[in-house]
Amino acid sequence: MLGPALPGEKGVALVPLTLEHFKLHGPWMLQPEVGRFWGPRFGEITDESAEKRYKEFADGKNSVNWTIAYLDEPVGFTGIFDIDWVRRDGESGIFIGRHDLFGRGIASEAIRLRTDFAWRELRMHRVHNWIANANRGSRRGNEKVGYKQMGLFARSFFRSGDWYDEWLGEAYPHTFPEQR
Amino acid sequence: MALGGTIRGKTTTLRLPTEADLDSYNRWTADMRVRRAHSVWHEPAMPATWKERFKEIAKDKQTVLWSIDAGESFIGFAVGHFWSMGNGFDLNHFVIDPDEWQKGYGADAALAFHRYLFDYLDVRVVTVDLRADNAAARRIAEKLGYAEFAHGHEVHYRDGAYVDELKLRMDKETWQERWNAEREYPPLAAEATN
Repeated sequence: MLGPALPGEKGVALVPLTLEHFKLHGPWMLQPEVGRFWGPRFGEITDESAEKRYKEFADGKNSVNWTIAYLDEPVGFTGIFDIDWVRRDGESGIFIGRHDLFGRGIASEAIRLRTDFAWRELRMHRVHNWIANANRGSRRGNEKVGYKQMGLFARSFFRSGDWYDEWLGEAYPHTFPEQR
Repeated sequence: MALGGTIRGKTTTLRLPTEADLDSYNRWTADMRVRRAHSVWHEPAMPATWKERFKEIAKDKQTVLWSIDAGESFIGFAVGHFWSMGNGFDLNHFVIDPDEWQKGYGADAALAFHRYLFDYLDVRVVTVDLRADNAAARRIAEKLGYAEFAHGHEVHYRDGAYVDELKLRMDKETWQERWNAEREYPPLAAEATN
């Protein structure tokens, strides 16, 4: 399903994912500037594929998907995926595609909005995620809203001569800081 | 595309699943003993739905299904997922008929299966998630050489309460140290490549 509009601070908002936004994901993910902690930098990047996958995202009952907007422009995406509605548990993820905007706190605010929504509106019990341990910005953004480390997957992937570990986190309503 | 082939253990054999197996999958999925121990692969459903699921997994490029026999009896199934880059494997479901528990079939099939993954497919790492109170599965995993890399709290819900989840991994190096004598094929003869 598509998430509702959630206005945040510092010009950041989560807005319902549109097909036009979705078509930006492929080109974003192919850039080396974002690939250090991301996927293989190839894929089925076609309009036809985007339309099919967007429909799956929009129709799916077990995920909530947003575009991250900054000053009203789409700059990335986030969501909660593979939600088990009995356990009330899901996996969260985030991607900032506009690498020229890294370091402005956009991801941190998006993570706060998403996590707040998980507790207040979805009545979830737990959210969890995997983050490259060396991606300090992403890890810190998650820790600020209550994610705590539950493990470390050593030597998860190999880039430019180094093995990268992955940090596994989990969060609960009771680990969420007081609302500002 | 993603139905598994024959892997022989001492007392069990993983083999190509067939539509005739689907009734048993459904029965095990509906068995509360199985559901207490594991997450289910699919919920119980009518035969037509299982046939659709079977068609889907047969076409899947990365998820693979095996049925497990012990002698002439059909006693379980395994489902796992190959990583997109092909060097790792997540073992998602490994189900033995609860009427056949405590006969050593799980341990035998698991050893043969991991021999296939490390000795034949040459994967780098295998992962598995277990409910923290599934003592039988933990014993098998520890004996194989799995080590815990994460502990999720209050992850699974059943019997009116949450239970923790253990995330375990086994690396190729561990397999080679612990099970080096477990080979599917004998070493090549000296003159084989002459």
